[in-house]
Amino acid sequence: MILLLFIVVLLALLGLPLFIALAAGGLYASYATELNPSILIIELYRLANQPNLMTIPLFTLAGMTMAAGGSPQRLIKLFNALLGWMPGGLAMAAIVACAFFTAFTGASGVTIIALGGLLYPLFMQSNYPERFSLGLLTSSGSLGLLFPPSLAILLYGIVSGTNIDELFLAGIVPGIILLVLLSLYSYKSARHWHKPAHPFSWSVLASAVRESLWDIFLPILVIVGIFGGFVTISEAAAVTAAYALFVEAVVYREIKLLDDLPKILIDTAKLVGSILIILGVAMGLTNILIDTQLPSRLLAFTDSFIHSPLEFLLALNLFLLIIGAMMDIFSAIVVVVPLIMPLAHRYQIDPVHLGIIFLANLEIGYMTPPVGINLFIASQRFGKSILTLFRSAMPFLGIMLIWLLMISYIPALTLWWK
Amino acid sequence: MNPLLLAIKQKLIVFEKLLAAVCLLLLLLLSLSQVIMRNLFELGFAELDTLTRHLVLFVTFMGAALISEGNKHIKIDCVTATISERSKQKLKRPLYFISALVCSVFSWYAVVFWLDEKNYAPASEQFALYLALILPAGFIILSLHFLLLSLIRDDSTQYTDTDDSLIDTLAKQSELPSGSGQQQ
Repeated sequence: MILLLFIVVLLALLGLPLFIALAAGGLYASYATELNPSILIIELYRLANQPNLMTIPLFTLAGMTMAAGGSPQRLIKLFNALLGWMPGGLAMAAIVACAFFTAFTGASGVTIIALGGLLYPLFMQSNYPERFSLGLLTSSGSLGLLFPPSLAILLYGIVSGTNIDELFLAGIVPGIILLVLLSLYSYKSARHWHKPAHPFSWSVLASAVRESLWDIFLPILVIVGIFGGFVTISEAAAVTAAYALFVEAVVYREIKLLDDLPKILIDTAKLVGSILIILGVAMGLTNILIDTQLPSRLLAFTDSFIHSPLEFLLALNLFLLIIGAMMDIFSAIVVVVPLIMPLAHRYQIDPVHLGIIFLANLEIGYMTPPVGINLFIASQRFGKSILTLFRSAMPFLGIMLIWLLMISYIPALTLWWK
Repeated sequence: MNPLLLAIKQKLIVFEKLLAAVCLLLLLLLSLSQVIMRNLFELGFAELDTLTRHLVLFVTFMGAALISEGNKHIKIDCVTATISERSKQKLKRPLYFISALVCSVFSWYAVVFWLDEKNYAPASEQFALYLALILPAGFIILSLHFLLLSLIRDDSTQYTDTDDSLIDTLAKQSELPSGSGQQQ
């Protein structure tokens, strides 16, 4: 039987879809523990009892609609008018625009594809060094991961049973700190080689604001709606998706309902299907692993060499950075969260703080070889080798690691509202 | 190449796309109507909640089946970076076949689960019971899709879906100028 498990792992490494590997692992675990494999289906069916699950397809639909409706161009124009006049301003505009966009598209690669292609020529025209430009664009694909209504936060909340409103609130300050750190680095770097492409102009800014007013209103709608107590998260998701469709189809007329909507719906279904099918099959496997007391054994094991919450956080960061470099963020949430939750509880780590640390680690993992997805997408998009992109992204990676240490060891940054 | 298998796969893709799009649109419309009814008229229908939650499963299964086309499922294929393109192509069909096999086993247990539910579900849960048919149906569709992919010689050349995905369209919209995308 151990041989069978080894074969499944090997096949996964050779390209077997992860959900199939997890499904096979679940079957193996149920036979090994003499449980009826129907338990895997029962656990999968529990998805239908998750009231917040519908937020994932609906927020994804909103993000896909914005992407198809020309929102990336309008956002770049706006943030370039706002920040582009200062040294490194274009880089700052790129950082903010990417973060804004990723929050809605869930760091699924759409940011690098949609914004990267627009920003790269702008960087070249403004005499930004290629290495800096590639590094920034590769890192920026996951910058908005901690801002509402991030798909990763929604999934973490559903899997861990943590309050999603609280996770949204907790992610805001760390997310802003990262944007500020990267902007400061861009400002400092650009002072030597970048001449601002244009002076600041109120009229250009006013025109860009007018053009993207409906886009800017979208995150305000989500944040005020949820934190103001006007709507629940699932209601906010439905309203956001409907708003995005209305804005792109009626206000901007960028989307033709008959021609474009089916394509948007199908692409949303593909993205949602690729994530939730993993969640579905992994629920059965993790439940069996919990039944076999695996978390308790892990606890006993860690107790032997970890004696304080500080040590636990350090070990957790190392572990999650490795996981982030090996696994996609959505799979990592589904597979790893149920196993580390009891450990975090043992070391009295707040589940909301744990969630932000978890996602921050995986955000960094997005740009770390061997399977950092940002590296692969940027490689395809910009036609550069993975190694070139990794080298270019190194300074940004360093800043993100400092940021990770800050949010790990200063819980007040995430839990200030408690 | 078997034209019959290709034709079946093409029909299957059309069916999956149709069901995915209709279910997602229905999910949006029903969720929105729930928001309006709850907030404006203080009304709520339990059946609508049940339906919307099951629609997520419909979208999930159809999306998962569609993304099998072109081998785009999430993977942790670290080893494939070290092997040649030819070996990768050779591995594809056996991996599709194994996927079909695993999904078939899940289909079987999903049928067993559904029949059990049918025997014991109270009258109040009959609606949810019929919606739960997506579990066996979803796995059967996944098995069939993977099986067809494993039987058709090279899915990348026989891919019959002529629509560009949104991602492709976005990539074209923001196309880089020629010369800026050379592999280094």
